[in-house]
Amino acid sequence: MKLKHLAILIALAFGITEARADRLVIKGSDTLGAKLVPQLAEQFKAQHPGTTFDIAAEGSTTGIAAIIDGTAQIGMSSRRAKSSEVGAAAAKGKAMKPTIVAFDGIAVIVNSANPIKGLTKKQVEQIFTGDVTDWSAVGGSGGKISVYTRNTSSGTYSDFKELAMKKRDYASGSQKMAGNEQIAAEVGKNPNGVGYVGMAYTKAGGVKALPVDGAVPSAKSVQAHSYPYWRPTFYYTNGEPSGLAKEFVDFTVGPGGQKIVAQVGFVPIK
Amino acid sequence: MLTKKTLMRAVVASLAATFSLAAQPLRAQDAGALLDLLVKKKLITDQEAEEVRGELVKESAQTSAGKWKLSTPLTELELYGDVRLRYNYVGGETKDRGPVAAPGAGVAGTNDWIERSRERYRLRLGLRGTLMDDWFFGIRLETNQNPRSTNVTFGADSSSSSPGGGGPFAKGDDGINVGQAYAGYKGFPDFTFTGGKMPNPLITTRMVWDPDINPEGLAEQWKHTFTFNLGGGGGEAAPTYSKEGKAVVAPAAEPFKLKLDLFANFAQFVYDDSNPENPLGARATTSANGPSQLVPNTDAFLLAWQVGGRLTFPNNVYFQVAPVLYNYTGNGDTFNVHFQGGSPYLTNSASLAQNQTGINSLLVLEVPMEVGWKLWDLPMRIFSDFAVNFEADDRADAAGQAGHGSQRYAYLAGLSVGQLKEKGDWQVDIWYQHADQFSLDPNLIDDDIFNAQLNMHGVAARATYNLSAAVNVALTYAHGWWYNHNLGTGGVAAQATGINPTAEYNWFTADLNVKF
Repeated sequence: MKLKHLAILIALAFGITEARADRLVIKGSDTLGAKLVPQLAEQFKAQHPGTTFDIAAEGSTTGIAAIIDGTAQIGMSSRRAKSSEVGAAAAKGKAMKPTIVAFDGIAVIVNSANPIKGLTKKQVEQIFTGDVTDWSAVGGSGGKISVYTRNTSSGTYSDFKELAMKKRDYASGSQKMAGNEQIAAEVGKNPNGVGYVGMAYTKAGGVKALPVDGAVPSAKSVQAHSYPYWRPTFYYTNGEPSGLAKEFVDFTVGPGGQKIVAQVGFVPIK
Repeated sequence: MLTKKTLMRAVVASLAATFSLAAQPLRAQDAGALLDLLVKKKLITDQEAEEVRGELVKESAQTSAGKWKLSTPLTELELYGDVRLRYNYVGGETKDRGPVAAPGAGVAGTNDWIERSRERYRLRLGLRGTLMDDWFFGIRLETNQNPRSTNVTFGADSSSSSPGGGGPFAKGDDGINVGQAYAGYKGFPDFTFTGGKMPNPLITTRMVWDPDINPEGLAEQWKHTFTFNLGGGGGEAAPTYSKEGKAVVAPAAEPFKLKLDLFANFAQFVYDDSNPENPLGARATTSANGPSQLVPNTDAFLLAWQVGGRLTFPNNVYFQVAPVLYNYTGNGDTFNVHFQGGSPYLTNSASLAQNQTGINSLLVLEVPMEVGWKLWDLPMRIFSDFAVNFEADDRADAAGQAGHGSQRYAYLAGLSVGQLKEKGDWQVDIWYQHADQFSLDPNLIDDDIFNAQLNMHGVAARATYNLSAAVNVALTYAHGWWYNHNLGTGGVAAQATGINPTAEYNWFTADLNVKF
């Protein structure tokens, strides 16, 4: 009897180990984790039956922290790891390995009823820092500007500060949203609203993306790096990925994954 | 053949070498432009560039500099300061006639010298920087609470936890105090606005302002430079020919240019804060000014208006003049008693007990001037200062010295030879200084030369030699005499000579200054 129980326990233990081996924990960027990575995961699961995904998209900071803490195999990030994060990882014996999975353009969106046709980089900086508070100051028809930004754990939040605002602080009255979809929804409802979203979210109802310095956020301009607010998006792993994580990374950067990248609205890396 | 992998390694190796060799570690972002260019030229892929970036960030994060985190708004930060070791002798002589108290231990007689020698140190540690959008700030920590000194005397501690109440080697008076804490804005061309406890924004001399004082309040400064090209030079000289027969163009002669810096400095300093402004119950009274009167409950302000110019001719010849007018408003609750300044017709202790700090009836015009030139490449300058108190009559009357309103002038003139920039540089300054009893604010004048006292005149000299660009030794000597023998030598005798009037005064310091 005892031997039988032991055998069952060993079998269960192996079973559990087997199940854990097919489970991939991915945490991080909302930009990547809201649409792109779930769709990649679905396609991957179709090719690898039995694989399960645990995806938490709560901002790039959480993805990088998860790699440092060892609570995820892949950290999604729409920004580069900061020096302090890389240092913290090194202190814990972790090596932050970035893999570019897609390019993105951060599009400046306004309500589709807004008559403004485009902005300069200087005007974008002025709007989001609060130097300009009325649309009439940037060629619009007047009205108090409502600024919508991502929250502070978002990679897009810090990327936009660096790319568009010379690292200055956001306007004190700006409203912080949890994700791209929320920003697009708020701007779509508010005729005086302005915000920024990843390119995949510019097709939301009621909004339009504005050209910046004459450059339209498009796959071509982002791939050529001519759109000023382009950026790479990443998977971070602890050193070179291995096992299931490596398979998923390879799938993402391979032809199948990059096709989905384009379908979702991101820009493929090749 | 140069493969991509080889190129990648070369890029990483060269950037890593840059990191390790750079005097100030570069940030990985600094390499971004180079990596972007390599990507644009299609020499490396975005992914390869990203891996290089990651390596650089990792290396940077593990350096000492990489572990410092500075806030985003900072655009520049400077750590600076100095340490000074000083030997100091100070001596003062009492007057040569009575009345004096009966001679005895600790009691001044006539022609009685009180002397003190001491070993001292000071530390000043500052941090200043610029912020985004043209803001700036500065803080400086200093030893000693005295506004006119940053020195701490070795072995002079008093500490209840030490044997004998003060040492040896106690830390009772080795305090760290905030000497400067200010912020400002330079966003408008030619203008600087500053608020806080700041370096003195006025151009002045130690005759009027002790250089250790960091006034508190607001300052607005404007400065604009005009350049006048008066012709001459400019054209290209005819070519000569070198041994190899190549044409060599001699450098063009310098055109004759005049540079005019015009400036204006305005200051509103909070001199004394009255607390509380609106007391509960009856106001306090004082009879220090004669009949009983209410202690003022308004703040005292020192206002200053300065305009000036500096005209620079070719060959480092310049002339500068910067007149400034000082006025006081309000009374404060500390400096409202009328200045008296002591009297030779009292005993020393009674003379000292008179008010020495009052700021009544002070409307002072100061005119500092400077002329500089070079003689055989040796910088030289003549510096001077002149001050007059337009309300000296009233100040003398209030002091009970009616008829001495003419004691309203102060002046200084000196010569400086040399400069202190590089190792081996030297500088010698000599000057004469005179300050009448009712000419200046006794709370601001320098407390080294002539003991922070007025109604004194005398000479001073300083010789400084640079052991390195950052370290120098300086010897300073001053000798002062009592000027008007019908009046005391007003002001707080800061060097603890405890004499009023001071008939003669000696001051000597030997300093080792280390700046960083």
